[in-house]
This record gives sequence, structure tokens and C-alpha cells, in this order.
Amino acid sequence: MADTNHVYSKLGEKLAKGEFILTGELEPEKTCDLSHTIGEAKEMAPYVVAANVTDSPLGIVTINSMAATHIIQKEANLECIWQLTVRDVNKLGIAGMIMGAQALGIHNVLSLTGDHPYLGDMRESKPVFDLDSATLVKLVREMVDTGKINGHEIEAPPKLHVGAAANPNAEPMEAEALKIGRKAQAGAEFIQTQVVYDLDKTIEFLTAIKKYKIPVLLGIFPMKSYAIAKGFDTFVPGVSVPKDILGKWKGIKTEYKTDKKMQKEAYDQANFEFFKPFITELRKKKLLDGIHCMAVHYPRIFPKLVEVIKSTN
Amino acid sequence: MTVITTKKPFEEVLSALKNTKKIAIVSCGSCAAMCQTGGTEGAKEMAEKLEAEGFEITTVIVPEEVCDNRVMKKDFRQIEEDLKNTDAILTLSCGLGVASITEVLANKHPDIPVFIGTNTEFMGMTERIGRFYMRCRGCGDCLLNETGGICPITTCAKSLMNGPCGGMVDGKCEVGNYEKDCGWVLIYRRLKELGRLDLYTKLRDPVDWSESGHQREVVWR
Repeated sequence: MADTNHVYSKLGEKLAKGEFILTGELEPEKTCDLSHTIGEAKEMAPYVVAANVTDSPLGIVTINSMAATHIIQKEANLECIWQLTVRDVNKLGIAGMIMGAQALGIHNVLSLTGDHPYLGDMRESKPVFDLDSATLVKLVREMVDTGKINGHEIEAPPKLHVGAAANPNAEPMEAEALKIGRKAQAGAEFIQTQVVYDLDKTIEFLTAIKKYKIPVLLGIFPMKSYAIAKGFDTFVPGVSVPKDILGKWKGIKTEYKTDKKMQKEAYDQANFEFFKPFITELRKKKLLDGIHCMAVHYPRIFPKLVEVIKSTN
Repeated sequence: MTVITTKKPFEEVLSALKNTKKIAIVSCGSCAAMCQTGGTEGAKEMAEKLEAEGFEITTVIVPEEVCDNRVMKKDFRQIEEDLKNTDAILTLSCGLGVASITEVLANKHPDIPVFIGTNTEFMGMTERIGRFYMRCRGCGDCLLNETGGICPITTCAKSLMNGPCGGMVDGKCEVGNYEKDCGWVLIYRRLKELGRLDLYTKLRDPVDWSESGHQREVVWR
């Protein structure tokens, strides 16, 4: 039976109510043992609506994201947003996975293109990209809303909410903004953005995509240490950490060299001080529906983020 | 249009010709000649190298187009006697040449193996000799009327129908260290220039592989 305008998850419920949402991110690694990730999931669970579970980011092979999502949901009692890329499975395989996800109790999926295998640690692998991030959204919506796939009835159809990504840092920006229009046509129910640090650019981009009326969860990356900030700045293409921020983080590293506890507190506070005005400004302009915090392995920052969200309301 | 070929490493050619002695060289006078992998020059160079390794060259021919069965039927008639004394054919052409020769010789000389001395790279656009670029993959369902004449299947490293992807930075593609242009940004810029961004905003369905995902043929008579 076709199922439209329904709520299938906590995330779906918050989106429907228009509540401000905080989501986190979990990055399972090249392992079959998820205990470390489950630990992080438990730590962030009280603060977030849901957490994304990544799908071999940078094309580096990790444990399958659907399996990881299922186990994390079960073990950490935290709702997840299953990240699914079109990089390595064709349309037929993906349709089967979507039904599999439903059977495993997964009710949110983020549609992503995925980094090309050439970038990762199995570069000889065949790049599939049978679908793209927009047509994957369309496929999910077809299966969920009509209960059919390619015109064929699905006996017990999946019930998932599907989101898509956006990159406010993209240049040329209009090329990216218009692409979000295609994702809107495809039926994306929420957007999670790439990490941003540039407020003006973010305002320009979010203003440009506002007409598509898709709730936007802004991607932020609170930096746990100077090394992480520097690494992010160096290794993530297209995203730069502002120089003054790098300077500040370097200062914290030097100042609290011998007192790790104080150093941690200083980093947390510095993140709070950077993100508070940033988020305040965007909320004031009614450009945000939530925050997606991508700072993996930094779950202790979540109480501070909740504080930021409360103070910017 | 040219089918772009490059030379195989000579050691790889030698390895393929292992256990053979008498070689006939068939070197294409068309695309491979242009790519300097075949033609008269390519054949001469290969013959000298093989002779230096102790091979005997039974004959060298440079057909106009090795991929054309009709041409090969005619040209093979002229070297019929040499073929009787040949262990293997080494083809300096694209992969189509090997297919064409194998099919043409199937009845009379099914025992002669046909090897290739090149790698077939792509169907290419020529800027000048020595500069060839892939601009079309021959997918069988041309999109160019909707994409400002720039093919996303070819110029996007992921062949996306709805790009650009998140791997685009400042108009460049994540594949190849951000040196090549992102195909979808090229399309965006061209359509903008033409005042046709309406085409850019269109959501496109995935490629239909039902007809093109297997051996293709065009037979109209």
C-alpha cells in the first residue's frame, strides 16, 4: 500500500513539527567490531535526534554502512541516518538494500554520490554511479510513497525518510544551488550541508536555496584540537578553516601544554564562542532548521552544542 | 573521429608472441597511423624490433582500414601464400582490427592466432597530432542537445546525470587531483552562456542500460 505524508522516525517527527534539530555523525572504520563507535553513539545519544553513519568516506573501505547503522541503533539505542552512496552499488542492488534497511529497522537515509574509488584505498575498484544523489532520492520516494519499484508492487514497502547533501562552499555557487533544486524535485525531505566556516558565503547559499523549502541542517565541524583543525584545513578539499581560528587553536595548544584537562575545556569553550554567533546569525535570518555536527570522535562537545542551540533560540 | 591507440609495452607484445616464430604484421593505415602506433612507420618499427628478437616476418601489410571486413577480405587474398607460412598475426590497430581479422580469417585460417600490439584508449577528438581527447563515449543515447554540447557521461568522472557532485572544488574534479575541469560545471557555464539554465535545472533519469549494457549492433539492411 502506498504511504504518503507519514512519519517513520524521530527525525521525521521533528521535521514535520518544524523543531530545531541536532544530528551527529559516526564514522565506523575498517573493522568488524563496532564497540568503539557504539561507545561514541551512547555518549552523544542524549543530545542528538539522530546520528549519521558514514559509507566508506573518501572511498576508503570500511564496514558496510547499513550493517553498522543497524547494529548502532540496536546497541546504542540511538536513531541513525544511514548514509548511502551510489558509488559502488547499481540501481538494482540499491533498491534491494532499501528494502533490507526497512527490514532492519532503519528509517532515515541520506543520499550521497560518494567519493570516487580512485581517491580511496581500493582505487582499482569499478566506479558504479548507476544512480546519482538526486535519482537515488527519487528512487526512495517512489518506493516509499507508491509502494512500487519500476511499477512493480512491493508487498511490504519501505518506510524511510530521505535526505540529501548540499555544499555551501561550492564555486560556482549557482551551479550547486540549482542542483539542490533538482534534489527538491526528486523529493528530498531534508538537507545536510558540507562543513562551513564562512558565514557570508553560507548566508548567500542558504538564501539561494530557501525557495526549495527543504529543511536545512547546517554542517559544522567543532575542532577537538589544533592538530584536528590543521588536518581538516589541509586535507578536506574546498573547505578552509579561517586563519584566526587556526591561530586561536594553536594558542590553546601552547598555553595549556601541561594541563590536558584545561586544554580540553579551552578547546570546547573556543568552539562554543565561534559557533554561537555563527548560528545565532543564521537562525535570526531564518535560514536554519538544525545543525549537523560532523565532529567525529568528539562526542563530549554535544552538551556545549545543545547550549549553543538553546542560547540562539 | 579517430580510435585512439597507444603502443603496448614491447615486453608485453613479446610475451603474447611466445612460442611463435613467423609473424605477419597487419598495421592499420587509418586511425592507428594517425596515432603513430600503426601505419607504415609503426609496422616498420615493429618488424625491426621483432627481427632483432629473432622472429621472422613473413609479410607486412598496411590496409586502409583494418576494422572494415571488406578491406581485409580483399587484402588477405593478396597475402594468401604468406599466411600459409605464418604462426601468428600481430595487429597494429585498435581492438576492432583484431576482431575484424579474426572474423575474416575464421574459415580459411582458424589456426592462426591474432595478437595486438596496441592498447585501444578511446574514441577521440583530435586537437593536433599527439593531442587526443575523449569527448564522447558512444553511449547510444545522446544527451548533447540538452547539455550545451558537452557530454556528462564523458566529462564527468562519475558519468553523473545530475551533477556536479560534492567532489567539485572551484570548478575542478576530485579525480586526478583537481586538475581537470568538472564536466557539470562546464555544462552549467555553457548553458548559462546560451541562456538555457532551464535545461540545467531539469532532473534527469538514470541512464537506461537495458539496451546499451550488452553487445550492441546496428543492423539496418
